[in-house]
Amino acid sequence: MHSNSKKTTVADLSAILEGLIKADVKFILVGGLAAVVQGAPVTTLDVDIVHDRSSENIAKLFKFLKSIDTIFRRPDDKIITPKADDFSGLKHALFTTRLGPLDVLAVIEEGKAYEDLINHTIEIEFRGHRIHVLDLEMLIKLKRASNDPKHKQQLPVLEETLRQLEEK
Amino acid sequence: MTEKNETKNSSGVDKGLVAMFLKMSPEERLLANDNAARAILELRNAFKQQKDNSRGSKRNT
Repeated sequence: MHSNSKKTTVADLSAILEGLIKADVKFILVGGLAAVVQGAPVTTLDVDIVHDRSSENIAKLFKFLKSIDTIFRRPDDKIITPKADDFSGLKHALFTTRLGPLDVLAVIEEGKAYEDLINHTIEIEFRGHRIHVLDLEMLIKLKRASNDPKHKQQLPVLEETLRQLEEK
Repeated sequence: MTEKNETKNSSGVDKGLVAMFLKMSPEERLLANDNAARAILELRNAFKQQKDNSRGSKRNT
């Protein structure tokens, strides 16, 4: 069960990732946490993923989301739980869970979906499992193309991180 | 001050901080972010609490 205090204090983003892996959900980690994983010294308060929209994967994702008390993140206090068909379209679904905020994105900038992005990922080892993470080059490319000022703000840090990685 | 500026690139990014983060493993970076996120949320809650308290005490006076 959710409460307002829980909504604002919980942030175990690693546990969300571990849960997704254990539930065998096919996803790509994107957004701020993808940058964090690759060494950018930024802090983010949510997990952003792009999921594979096959019906089998959506069923696994939906089951996992139910297990972590997922509700839509809204400015008001209305409690709305997701339905499986919320994940088959092209919409973004922004959630609060008992482990922290999770954004499930069908597509990101330039309309790119799971199948467009999978070849632009790196695989990292996390708690004995492999996670697909959108690579820094593509993250930077998409943030440059984005109209969101928050994305533009992070660009210099991501570019410096990539520069140092390429120097190594 | 000058010394501090030399550690930054032309966009003002702290190069030392990037280098420090790059020395960590991906898992360590995720845990560092979790800890930072928890600290931010705790501070936000403390700020909200303090605001609520001061509103309450104003109402009582």
